[in-house]
Amino acid sequence: MKRYHDIVGDGGSKILEQVAEQRTRITDGLAGVRHLVAVGSGKGGVGKSTLTLHLAGALRARGLRIAILDADFNGPSQARMAGVQEALFVPGSHKVSLPRTKDGIAVFSMGSVIPESEALEFESAAHGESHTWRATREFALLGEILGSFEWGALDLLMFDLPPGAERTVQYADFFGPFDSAQGKPRVSFLLVTIPSQVARGVVARSVAALSKGPNRLLGYVENMSGYYCRDCNAIKPLFVSSEIPRLGIPCLGTVPFDPELARHCDGGMPLADLGETPVRRALDHVAQQLLESLI
Amino acid sequence: MKFLCVPCDSPMKLQSVGPPERGSLSVVYSCPECGYEMAMLTNAYETQVVQSLGVRIGAEVEADASSTTGGRCPFPAMIPGNEQQQPGDAGEPIPVRWTAAAEARLANIPAFVRPMARTGIERFARDRGALEVDEKILDAARDFFGM
Repeated sequence: MKRYHDIVGDGGSKILEQVAEQRTRITDGLAGVRHLVAVGSGKGGVGKSTLTLHLAGALRARGLRIAILDADFNGPSQARMAGVQEALFVPGSHKVSLPRTKDGIAVFSMGSVIPESEALEFESAAHGESHTWRATREFALLGEILGSFEWGALDLLMFDLPPGAERTVQYADFFGPFDSAQGKPRVSFLLVTIPSQVARGVVARSVAALSKGPNRLLGYVENMSGYYCRDCNAIKPLFVSSEIPRLGIPCLGTVPFDPELARHCDGGMPLADLGETPVRRALDHVAQQLLESLI
Repeated sequence: MKFLCVPCDSPMKLQSVGPPERGSLSVVYSCPECGYEMAMLTNAYETQVVQSLGVRIGAEVEADASSTTGGRCPFPAMIPGNEQQQPGDAGEPIPVRWTAAAEARLANIPAFVRPMARTGIERFARDRGALEVDEKILDAARDFFGM
């Protein structure tokens, strides 16, 4: 009796071929992108989105062509922070154009099309059982977005990942471990933590999970590393933690918390409007470190 | 998944995809040798898992898709030729027409975000006093948003 691999095709639907076509569309869509950088953590609330946007701003200020894909479909924040909340997805003759920030960063975020008062919902035949299929659906959507939007020629495409160590690894799996054309992993990871033992512990799990595969870990950024007091123009401690777990990967820099930066994010104002502050200098330093780590 | 006719040792071919009913698809296969037919009936979870991959069942087969385009079909992306949005709901603002060329461009947008994009573009057109979305309106939107 014939076995599975003795039979060519699946009798009609060509499911595997359809999936292969999806992958080809993604590869073709990203053909002009030099570097894919996924900004993740594992821990929520550490400032992944803020750092993604402002590192993109700092890189853009160096003249690089940058786009951000807000991969946190369920909690998108880039649309608001980047000031593209009211932007449209406009179809061209082949691909869909991306909204851009004032300083020219292309941004895809679900927040551009789904109001903050609404949750992301998929139609489903399996009502009430979303844990069985939801992640698959979200990655299929990610594939459609990568294949349909006009990424064009970019120096960097930055992914703002959702929280969860397992999600970080799923992204690594989604992109595949190796780009044979470039001879290196397709996507590089930048992890974000804060100076608390709890956050470091969770990020350490992400490092461990990513290290099991042939993934490229550029390093980590310590966000909220003190806070910037504008009144005394000094960085003051924000977390008091004596024994912070080591991550075993390079630290690309530390960024203090700045309430003014948070206000900029809420208002969708670009980094350039922040003025010359220690926080902006810190972001600029991390951006430079990030660039050097990609070479 | 593949199906084998055991007596003939021959791979079965997909014949048709039945109209979805309460979360189940009826996918009929037949043996090209003996003509024996069998139907694979999916439960809602199986249906949803396949749908979540973003693939269509019966892509090469002219399924009886017309019978599955009812207003509550849960498988719009799975049945060939059934990706179109349903007509606008009652109570919508002034209807906006789409030219065939603009509609063709709209199809480039992933199905999931297409309805939101459509609504936004129609609002953009209405705000400019246009009751038809054509390629000029789409180009104007691209320019307006600095794309």
